[in-house]
Amino acid sequence: MTTLIVNGMEYPLDLADPRVTLLDALRDKLGLTGTKKGCDQGACGACTVIADGRRILSCLTLAAQCDDREITTIEGLESHPMQEAFMRHDAFQCGYCTSGQIMSAVALLGENRAGNDADIREFMSGNLCRCGAYSNIVSAVREVARHA
Amino acid sequence: MTTIQQPRILGPGVNRVDGPLKVTGQARYPNDFSLPGMAFAAVVRSTIPSGRITRLDTTAAGKSAGVLEVITHENADHLDEAPATFIKNPQAPLQNDVIRYYGQYIAVVVADTQQNATAAADLIEVEYERREALLDPHDPRAERIKDPWGEDTAWGDVRTALKRAPVMIDQTYTTSDNTNNPLGLFTTLAAWDGDTLTLHDSNQWPNMVQLVVSSMFGVPKDAVRVLTPFVGGGFGAGLRCWSHIPLAVMAARHVGRPVKLELTRPEMFTGLGHRTSSVNWLKLGATRDGRLTAIEHESLTTLPMDGDEYEPCSSVSTWSYASPNVTTRDQQVRLNIPWTNFMRAPGDSQGNFALESAIDELAWEVGLDPLEIRLLNYAEVDPKTGRPWSSNALRQCLEVGARRFGWSQRNPEIGSMRDGHELIGYGVAGVSFFWYQQPCAARVIVRGDGSAYVRSAVTDIGTGTYTIMAQLAAQLLGLDVEQVEMQLGDTEMPAGTAAGGSGLTAALGSAVHDACGRLIQKFVELAKTDPFSPLADVPYEQVEVSEGRLYRRGEPTRGESLARILAVHGLDEMAADGDSTPNSPDELGMTPAGARGARFVEVRIDEDLGRIRLARIVTVNDGGRILNEKLARSQILGGTVGGIGMALFEDTVTDMDTGRIANATFGDYLIPVNADVPDVHIEFVGEPDAFNPIGVKGIGEIGLVGVAPAIANAIFHATGKRIRSLPITLDEVMG
Repeated sequence: MTTLIVNGMEYPLDLADPRVTLLDALRDKLGLTGTKKGCDQGACGACTVIADGRRILSCLTLAAQCDDREITTIEGLESHPMQEAFMRHDAFQCGYCTSGQIMSAVALLGENRAGNDADIREFMSGNLCRCGAYSNIVSAVREVARHA
Repeated sequence: MTTIQQPRILGPGVNRVDGPLKVTGQARYPNDFSLPGMAFAAVVRSTIPSGRITRLDTTAAGKSAGVLEVITHENADHLDEAPATFIKNPQAPLQNDVIRYYGQYIAVVVADTQQNATAAADLIEVEYERREALLDPHDPRAERIKDPWGEDTAWGDVRTALKRAPVMIDQTYTTSDNTNNPLGLFTTLAAWDGDTLTLHDSNQWPNMVQLVVSSMFGVPKDAVRVLTPFVGGGFGAGLRCWSHIPLAVMAARHVGRPVKLELTRPEMFTGLGHRTSSVNWLKLGATRDGRLTAIEHESLTTLPMDGDEYEPCSSVSTWSYASPNVTTRDQQVRLNIPWTNFMRAPGDSQGNFALESAIDELAWEVGLDPLEIRLLNYAEVDPKTGRPWSSNALRQCLEVGARRFGWSQRNPEIGSMRDGHELIGYGVAGVSFFWYQQPCAARVIVRGDGSAYVRSAVTDIGTGTYTIMAQLAAQLLGLDVEQVEMQLGDTEMPAGTAAGGSGLTAALGSAVHDACGRLIQKFVELAKTDPFSPLADVPYEQVEVSEGRLYRRGEPTRGESLARILAVHGLDEMAADGDSTPNSPDELGMTPAGARGARFVEVRIDEDLGRIRLARIVTVNDGGRILNEKLARSQILGGTVGGIGMALFEDTVTDMDTGRIANATFGDYLIPVNADVPDVHIEFVGEPDAFNPIGVKGIGEIGLVGVAPAIANAIFHATGKRIRSLPITLDEVMG
């Protein structure tokens, strides 16, 4: 039995199938579909969640590796200023990459890597946005970083 | 009365109304849905480009853990013909043993979990008889289709004009295959209930999927409900009913349970079409002072063996600049490749790269400023018909853009501007985008509390349809945006058109406009039946609407709220249906002009390494009336990013031995990341367009067009290297 701690809640999981990724466990077993699958190969960042304070790609993490780790998903953010800033700056269009972008951006603040636009661009480059909202994402992160 | 004379809510940047759902992870995309008893499907794809299946062994897969069903051509249901919807849709999969391209679906496995389905799919053994494949567009054995859409154009006498032209440009420009790659994995969740079917499906046109699926499965159209309230992008990929959709439907029927079929990223490269590569042969004739006397534009694009595609690359040359002599011709070549398909700005993006590169070459040839030559050849009227444009602010786009960019600071000499190791280049391109509109319907309903909701089956692929239609209805009904609820993406609602071709805003907006007008008319007529109503004797033409109230023009106190009219008559709500069909150019005596634009780009080229860096982009566009500037800017920004991808990164590579797409992952197929995008200055110019009642021109695609030639032209200015193929890579800049 594996216990996932997601957004402060404990979820005991019977992971008879060791192939289940953290992403699939979140989406298919816990019903937390806010975390998205864009490539399932660790290349797009749509599945970004925060584990023990660090951003990770949940598609490259097996659920079985997450016993007792504290996972935060988009559903676990409580009116974070980053969410408000994303809306104000129109930092998304279709919205599919948005959960991953926001989780990455929230983690970025903790990494002290949001000090200038070049850093924000560089360290947000693991999160693809095919709609091309990048400049607005930078504006949103910059604004929150400045007021953090 | 329902004219938009004083836009109140339109224009300024209202935040996206679906924003709260999207920033909290609550917006539900097709793959977010689950149903009780749901099974999961995994597809198997062919590993040859041409031939037939000689043996297909599903024994091991069938015995694999959790497997419920394996469907191949040997046990698939026979399906009826898939009707065309503007263009063809793929015919039913798994109907025979013939293989036409690498990646074609040859089996689908259904299991209790996705992991079990995917693992079992790997156990299927296939043997083929391989035939020689046609993979090279220049293969002389491949079928060539001339004038595929009957749109080849000729006026004047191009041959003579070219012969007599004192200056001529004669060049070939090529673009590569690109893949749409919306971030959302296309998913179909199919659930049968007796003879009725519900689909949660990723697409850009729910009514199209409904029609095609109902036809293929021989059920009435109304028996199929397609739900697409949110989709993780499309960029054209959702404009046909791709084969995974009927596969999921067939699988659900076989196992008697709901089936979810979610494509993988590599499957998205073969299963949803891609932008065709193109060859553009362009000849320009001009006077010594740079005035165009002739344009001859021919293009060659690719087709799959069993499909069609509308990709008229050469047509931009019929409307972009004034020329007394023009010939355009398009050809397609049939190959053993996955389907080519619409991708953001089909045809125009490739054709404009060729035309705007050639115009730039002409400018250098005659010694004219690349900005000036575009202004000089501006088409005051439609050069093909001589009719006036419905609107055309290309000139302002160029002029305003040049000012914002600081074009006058440009030293015209090649390689003359530098900053340390970096050569600086300035490039410009103009854009004249196509016009497209299809019929569309909507229903607008006012509730008893005076709020309203709008319903249409169309979907919002991220462009902002939810938001701008809420604004439009609020404007026309005199409400606040917060009082209008949008309901989209459900075929039980009034039939809508595609979120494609930059045509949805005009189509749906005109339908909402029509519905609001009819609804207010119904309110006025209802009020007339109430002798105590202050509006009882006010003719419809004199009624104005504001703050949820109808009142007599010039007499704001003489009126009644929508809510009160409903209450007086004991009604919970009142609805009106609206529809729109495109106006006729003949009747209006004008040519509908799509959006117009100009791009100004500064590139910096590392002299030693050839590294291409974009320093800044100025993009100015004429989109007619802009309904929401914040969201409109996002459309242009997104297009610009797509244009950067087309210019510098995107290249879907086909292995010429096997026909396999060799880079079908996000690790290998490069698209722009955040750090690739420089400062982008976005501005709008122009007036409300005269061709539709709300004055809009679609802007979903134009942002992409012109970015690539502006970059190529800037690279030429910096280095003297004229690069005529996309994507532009640093080896070409160094070489």
